[in-house]
Amino acid sequence: MSDDPDKVGPTGLTLKEAEEVHSYLIDGTRVFGLIALLAHVLTAFTTPWLG
Amino acid sequence: MNNAKMWLVVKPTVGVPLFLSAVAVGSFAVHVAVLSSTGWVGDFLSGNELGSGDASAALSTETGIAKVGYDDSRQLVVTLPDGTVTKAVYTETH
Repeated sequence: MSDDPDKVGPTGLTLKEAEEVHSYLIDGTRVFGLIALLAHVLTAFTTPWLG
Repeated sequence: MNNAKMWLVVKPTVGVPLFLSAVAVGSFAVHVAVLSSTGWVGDFLSGNELGSGDASAALSTETGIAKVGYDDSRQLVVTLPDGTVTKAVYTETH
């Protein structure tokens, strides 16, 4: 399956632009996840949460 | 980038706020659910030892046990398990 990176979709974005938007979303999700993981580890050690 | 093509059919101006809102609402709901079924946040905010509220709550909901004490006029005061405070009426017998 070959995808033209300059193909314009119904939203008006090209595949290249869609991949750029998606990369920012993935990066943000990773940073959020890492901070959340750290917060949950700290909470598990310092509170009665999880027993 | 497996799912990048979704932005060809979903406008990022709609999809991104929707995604962030879903994460925010989901996280908030989970935290409310966890914290409303535990008592240690209240203990923390009250400056008590964490977990002490749960122990006293368990004691106070113990069924069938009432606390009895005196007030200033030596009237018997009964505290029922549900927190109701009442006074005992008694008659002197000779």
